[in-house]
Amino acid sequence: MNALSDIAPPPQVDLELRGIAKNFGDFVALEGVDLSIERGEFVAIMGPSGCGKTTLLRIVAGLESMSSGRLFLRGQDISALPVHKRSTRLVWQNFALFPHLDVRRNIAFGLTLGRHDKEAVKARVGEIAELVQLGQFLDRRVSQLSGGQKQRVAIARALVTEPEILLLDEPLSALDAHLRIRMQSEMKRLQQRLGLSFLYVTHNQSEAFSMADRVVVMNKGRIEQFGPPEEIYTRPKTHFVAEFVGSNNIFDGKVVDVQGGLIVVQCADAIISAASGERPPGKGSTVSLVVQADKVRSRPIGVAAENSLRAVLSGREFTGSQVIYYLETAGGGEVKMVAQEPFSQTERATINMAMQLYWSPADTVVLRPNIVPGKENMPGRRSYVALGT
Amino acid sequence: MVSASARRPLAAGVLEAANSGFSPMKVLGIGIPLVYSLTFFAAPLLFLVVLGFWLVENFQVVPAFSLENYLDIAQHMFAQSNYALAIAQSLWLSLSTAFFAVLLCYPMVLAIVYVAPRSRHRLLLMLAVAPFWSSYVLRLFSWQILLANKGIINSGLAWAGFENLQFNLLYTQIATRIGLIHYLAPILIVVLYVTAANIDRDLIQAARDLGATRWQAFRRVILPMSRTGLLVSASFAAIVSFGDVLAGSLLGGGVGNSVLGSVPLFSTMIMTEYASSTNLPRTSALAMILVLVMVLMLAGGAALAERSKVDAG
Repeated sequence: MNALSDIAPPPQVDLELRGIAKNFGDFVALEGVDLSIERGEFVAIMGPSGCGKTTLLRIVAGLESMSSGRLFLRGQDISALPVHKRSTRLVWQNFALFPHLDVRRNIAFGLTLGRHDKEAVKARVGEIAELVQLGQFLDRRVSQLSGGQKQRVAIARALVTEPEILLLDEPLSALDAHLRIRMQSEMKRLQQRLGLSFLYVTHNQSEAFSMADRVVVMNKGRIEQFGPPEEIYTRPKTHFVAEFVGSNNIFDGKVVDVQGGLIVVQCADAIISAASGERPPGKGSTVSLVVQADKVRSRPIGVAAENSLRAVLSGREFTGSQVIYYLETAGGGEVKMVAQEPFSQTERATINMAMQLYWSPADTVVLRPNIVPGKENMPGRRSYVALGT
Repeated sequence: MVSASARRPLAAGVLEAANSGFSPMKVLGIGIPLVYSLTFFAAPLLFLVVLGFWLVENFQVVPAFSLENYLDIAQHMFAQSNYALAIAQSLWLSLSTAFFAVLLCYPMVLAIVYVAPRSRHRLLLMLAVAPFWSSYVLRLFSWQILLANKGIINSGLAWAGFENLQFNLLYTQIATRIGLIHYLAPILIVVLYVTAANIDRDLIQAARDLGATRWQAFRRVILPMSRTGLLVSASFAAIVSFGDVLAGSLLGGGVGNSVLGSVPLFSTMIMTEYASSTNLPRTSALAMILVLVMVLMLAGGAALAERSKVDAG
């Protein structure tokens, strides 16, 4: 262990992970995970199943050992602390409420393990139950509760012990869609009111984006990107994030020209230019270009413009507030376009109609090959099209 | 009923009958177990009940409806044969055996479920159940050889230099309990395994996450959630022990010394009385009392289990 890793993190940091790695036999579940969560921050970890997000959460809770790395909670090294001595609390996907205890005893569980004053426990349980609107359900059995109420009990049971950080493992995935949305805003309000840090694992993008202050995108046991939701959405840093997040179009090609703040890239179907940024890639280098589906526009065929791409409409999906168009290029690639409203009446979109697509070079994100992770493990393009659902 | 169905269209009535009535599979599914239990359980039991009211005249069994057997047994409850004491002795033996059997098997099951890796569960369970495939009588004779005053255990101790450490085990109630527990353990282990394996692991981890030590997680989650299984296996062990004759006669020597004094077990008493008197009706009446006590034990166990189920929600 070098000296640098022994330095305690600054006081405003609630949780700090340094170089966390976890191997299950030959399988590498986590590798070099560094993460720092500030006091009162809501951080969501997002990624496909098997990316290591739940393992990471369980390591922080102390339910899983780590192969290497260190954990700091409010400046204290908790790497070697056993699970029951850590002041982290986990909220489980399946709630994990004790079926042999009523709601009151479930919530009081963590308070009654050591020496305790019965009256004080009762008062504290009542207080927390009011906070999560469970006041009148305290004497119910767990089996008599609805899914949303169970989740409230699970949260109350964790909060009552006054943890220093709350860990949540897909806490809303067992609820139906309608309730999930309501619980999202409730959870966010609760978190802000308590000023408590939340580390929230989910595979649901809208859940992560709507609640979190910062989002971690994980893949294959590594952190791909860590930042505010807007940044993750508009400025994906890696090929994987671009594929996983939102509804992005990705074009691979070679840089043929660099001039006037733009780079010009020869792709399979078109020549695309993009804002080059501070350190433009050199001529001849391979890059991937990412364009959000809602930045793509269409215009009549024949009008010449920058970044124009001819494609044939192959399908459309009306989602209410917007329409998703699927188009096919001459080279067989798929392009998605999201429009806030359907085409004007004069130009109704019909399947197999040829269209000319364009977008601004400023909306084109350039990804360099050195930050493109192992391509063989990337999810298929069609898996992540639904924007705004 | 009739008027209600008559008002409905015929087709709807037919459909309903097909859904709620007697489909061939349903008849088969309910019929087979019903016939089985009627033939091999209800009928013999009924025969025993009826026989208990019959009489013996001139060494001949005569059908009758008489309470004479029961009245005679009642007279001997606290005198001569002292049936009440024998029942008390049997209850003491069966309940203590059940207690020690569960006390032995539960930790074994916990070790299999919570200590051994999941891939080894089946093997360990097979090993635990293996003694079940050998004959009960054979096992009791083996215990005789082991437990006898000059048996393997005592000779082994003497050979190892512990001449002063000799146990007088054979023909005591302890030997009876050993034989019974050895017989019961495989079944109890299976019942308790199912109970323990069904406890959601997340609950134990949730308890630990909330600050419980291993012991507290056991005390506050595993143990209360095992309650039904513990009660079911304990009442099973008690009932089997209460009716068993072989362990008591082969290892306990028929008359067991216990806190109650030298009193035979009730089951042994029924056997010896029949052997000496061949009075089948009176023996049946005694057996009915044995069955009655068993039913009471079962009801007691079920009531406790039901209460724990309500507690558990």
